[in-house]
Amino acid sequence: MFWKEIGGILIFLLVFVIFANIWFHFVESILTAIKKIFCCHKEPPAWHPLPKEDTREDEEDI
Amino acid sequence: MGFFGKLFKGPEIDMEKSDANAKKMRLLFNQVVENGDTYQLIFGYTEDVSWFNYGFVHGSKTKIGNLIVGWNEETKTIVVVPTVPDLSGCGDPVYYRRSEIMKAYRNKYPTDAFIIYPDKKAYIGINAYDWLEDEKLYVYVSQEKELAAFTEFFMNQYATK
Repeated sequence: MFWKEIGGILIFLLVFVIFANIWFHFVESILTAIKKIFCCHKEPPAWHPLPKEDTREDEEDI
Repeated sequence: MGFFGKLFKGPEIDMEKSDANAKKMRLLFNQVVENGDTYQLIFGYTEDVSWFNYGFVHGSKTKIGNLIVGWNEETKTIVVVPTVPDLSGCGDPVYYRRSEIMKAYRNKYPTDAFIIYPDKKAYIGINAYDWLEDEKLYVYVSQEKELAAFTEFFMNQYATK
């Protein structure tokens, strides 16, 4: 009986944590979608990739 | 060294990886900053903590932004370049010239950070440590000497109070 009660509590906590996670990601996705609608005119920030190995070697030769 | 000696010694720094990343940081920095070689570099990061309350689920979210921080003692300028933990690229640099900023100081609480206010509206808090183990979140680089040099520069030449 005692082990059954502990098992029941653990299962309840597990279900609660899973549901809370799903709820968190659900609300986050809605908020992200709303933000996208209002901030769609923003240009993405400039990004400079790391030069590749061969390009670096060529520059060093020069 | 025995098993327990190794166990209590803590994590060891992979200097090969650290040196490779330091070179990548220099390449990226020099790519976007004019006369980049005149700047000394350290790795720093910003923390953006926001609180959320979605009904029965509430807590805090922390966004980490990796930065290559360069400083020039002659011109008393700090340049901040955003990057990513694997150093595959970087963004545009932001210049903080001492003559142009509103104030700069070192904060001790809640975290040890170098704070710069370019104007009244905005600020940047730069956190920096000797070495951070988590490669997924931070750039893997050992920088004890560089951090000491930056701290000395910031406190003695750059801070406004």
